[in-house]
Amino acid sequence: MNYFIFIKDKLANPIAISSLLLLTMVISYCVIMAEAHWQWKLPVICIGIFSWFVFRNSIKHPIIWLTLLTLLIIDLYYNYFRVANHHFMLVLVVIAVISYNYHQRSAILIKNIQLLLVVVIVTSVVQKLISPQFISGDFYYYMMNRGFLFKYFMDILPQSTEISNANAEMLSSLKTSDPNLGQTVIFKDIIPNLGLVSHVFAWTTIAMELLVATALLLKPKSNWTHLMLGLMIFGILCTRIETGFMGLLAICGLMLSKNRYLKWIYVTIISACILLVATRIGLH
Amino acid sequence: MPNPFKELILKFGVPSLAVIIIAIHFFMAHTQNLSKWKGGGYGMYTELHYVYNHIHITGMSVDSLKKSSPSIKKALSKVLLMPNRRNLQKAGEHILKITKKDSIHIQLWKPSVSSKQQSYTRVLADELYLKNTDF
Repeated sequence: MNYFIFIKDKLANPIAISSLLLLTMVISYCVIMAEAHWQWKLPVICIGIFSWFVFRNSIKHPIIWLTLLTLLIIDLYYNYFRVANHHFMLVLVVIAVISYNYHQRSAILIKNIQLLLVVVIVTSVVQKLISPQFISGDFYYYMMNRGFLFKYFMDILPQSTEISNANAEMLSSLKTSDPNLGQTVIFKDIIPNLGLVSHVFAWTTIAMELLVATALLLKPKSNWTHLMLGLMIFGILCTRIETGFMGLLAICGLMLSKNRYLKWIYVTIISACILLVATRIGLH
Repeated sequence: MPNPFKELILKFGVPSLAVIIIAIHFFMAHTQNLSKWKGGGYGMYTELHYVYNHIHITGMSVDSLKKSSPSIKKALSKVLLMPNRRNLQKAGEHILKITKKDSIHIQLWKPSVSSKQQSYTRVLADELYLKNTDF
């Protein structure tokens, strides 16, 4: 019972709990990325740890956050066009949290996170709308026939795994052939009418993301908004275990949410995502 | 009395930074053909990943070239990520320099999927014939 009261108390301050979860996620991410450019990261970590031990009580600067931000910026500097998109979002959320450590105004942090979420989701919608491969459904068609989407639900459909494996084999032999020969692979569909299903699914994705972005812009604290955001995150996780990005979106949702049950849902999603990132089962 | 400029920066600084990064992505995507998957433009899962772009060099194995030289691997990876004429030319010149060949025919193929025809094929996006006397 005491544990529940402890958790309930923690959930009463969503910024504190989401900062803690964000910290765990950033540390897991930085550990995974540690190997790249370690010669720059090592001194940063040493200085960070030393400063934290020596100065943590005498200075007001968030030493751990600043150290982690520096590590993220090192990766960004060397691999600007190679890092995943959520690396950029992670940097921005960390900057917002560091800034909050100085101004201590939760309304400003919430505004930062709300607008950041809206910008990210609206951009994602725009990118989909300007991609002919996406709006035609061809992208989803390929991904599903290759078994890259709904991977963990494939066994429900009879023979779908065998079909996607057969498609993969055909593509593999195409890859080794001379493209000047003009060879084409004809897919076997994992389900009937997959072309139509992919087309509908593509437009449903766009509609859902647009709805969530609009709701976040107009009613960032509404329960309905967070139900839709939670549903979107859960839906994407079922499609593909993009745990890094989805964990980050859920952390942002947790910062904005007011409802205790919704906070529980967010905390569950974030914890699962962090666990999957740390164990490298999910995508970091 | 709070400083209005400081208030503005505090409220809109981080989202504006996100918009600047996105603007850079769109600029690079438009001018350098940067993949939607990278560069902070949040366009992942909107088209096939850039690793499906295919580089073909007549008379040479691209896999062997990549294994033989990390710098060739880096140059070819850049072509896949930003498939434009400049990067293709740079990669071709670099390969000529390293392999000491007289000429090279380098092609860039992009994947093409059609759900209507249930097909997957490759389409020629660009190609270059280079001689070691050209540069």
